[in-house]
Amino acid sequence: MNDHEILFDMINENISQMDQIIDHIYTAQNSYNRNRLLNQLRKNIFAVTVLIRGLQKSTGADHPQSDGARIFTPAELAACNGKNGNPAYVAVNGIVYDVTNAAAWAGAVHFGLSAGRDVTGEFAVCHAGQQILNGLKAVGKMAG
Amino acid sequence: MEEIGRQSVPKRNLIWLTLTGCSGDIISLLDGADPDFKNLITKMTNLIYNNNLMAAEGEAAMEGLFGVAGKDYILAVEGAAATKDNGLYHVIGRWKGEPVTAYRAVRELGEKASHVIAVGTCASDGGVSAANPNPAACVGIQSLLNRKVIKLPGCPCHPDWFMGTLAHLLLFGAPELDDRNRPLMFYSTLIHDICPRRPFFDQGLFASRLGENACMFKLGCRGPVTRVDCPIRKWNERVNWSIGGGSPCIGCAMFGFPDQMEPFVSFNTTRQGWI
Repeated sequence: MNDHEILFDMINENISQMDQIIDHIYTAQNSYNRNRLLNQLRKNIFAVTVLIRGLQKSTGADHPQSDGARIFTPAELAACNGKNGNPAYVAVNGIVYDVTNAAAWAGAVHFGLSAGRDVTGEFAVCHAGQQILNGLKAVGKMAG
Repeated sequence: MEEIGRQSVPKRNLIWLTLTGCSGDIISLLDGADPDFKNLITKMTNLIYNNNLMAAEGEAAMEGLFGVAGKDYILAVEGAAATKDNGLYHVIGRWKGEPVTAYRAVRELGEKASHVIAVGTCASDGGVSAANPNPAACVGIQSLLNRKVIKLPGCPCHPDWFMGTLAHLLLFGAPELDDRNRPLMFYSTLIHDICPRRPFFDQGLFASRLGENACMFKLGCRGPVTRVDCPIRKWNERVNWSIGGGSPCIGCAMFGFPDQMEPFVSFNTTRQGWI
């Protein structure tokens, strides 16, 4: 069995479990049982998303790489603030970096700084001389 | 600690000042174990002053506090110091007709102490007391003293961090400190690097709501920027810790807490849809 088939089997197993749980919810005797079943349903939904993500990885269906030469206006950078499903980008010294999955930018906020901004000044004050930018993916340049 | 039990290390005087804060650090210390608070005050130190716990009141309490002048003592301070209007926003007592402000207590008792330990984030770096807009102009106590202050940030400070630092002081002298004067034995590794959920982060499996058993990076977890040993030591005698309880780390043991660690939980982030 290849990876796909295993993942498909597990997804189908989860879906049929979810069907059964929904059947049981219709006849749940009290709110404790109902909530217990609903909690299990959430776990199944999460499991399915994880499995689908695994499917994407194994088919190489990742998000397309950004064009490294993209030019950003300040307004375009501001839109990449990490909210509402937008990626989180910051500009340092004219280069725009993707901090969406950077550990230190959890919730698209780092020490009170929101993504979608030029943080050259703050970076120079706090991280001068540190090899931090090397570890970030550059996705473009600021205009001008 | 056997040396302390055998009385070969002398008990030293300890003053605990509860200043501009929530008094959470003394509460936390009272919940400590192995060694516990009873051990602290019977075997390790003579606790000369603690406004929550001592029997003395009023003028007698202040006499006891300022009576340490000229003697050897260790000063532990929890809470920041309010500095606006000469510190009148925090008065800890009256002595000889004058109000004794937190501001005055830190400066008079801090310079001559053998060691000063800032317990908790407020005493270390201002913390919640100094959060925006900081109407009483609260500051961490290091900025009021010319001598070195050992910082034990945490909201509250874990009882082990204080007990461990104090025991090291009693037995071996000051512990090794980092460049922010925090003991390396507690404050060296990032939570992110010892988090049990790190494999989820590395695989890109992120929780979209609280309580899900996955990495809480997308919810705004501050583990990646916080240096302290919560994942190993845990709280309440090793029962649990924030991430174990299904809540992200809010960076309470870092400078910049709380303003620069907010928002503590974010639901409106980079995750788009389910997949």
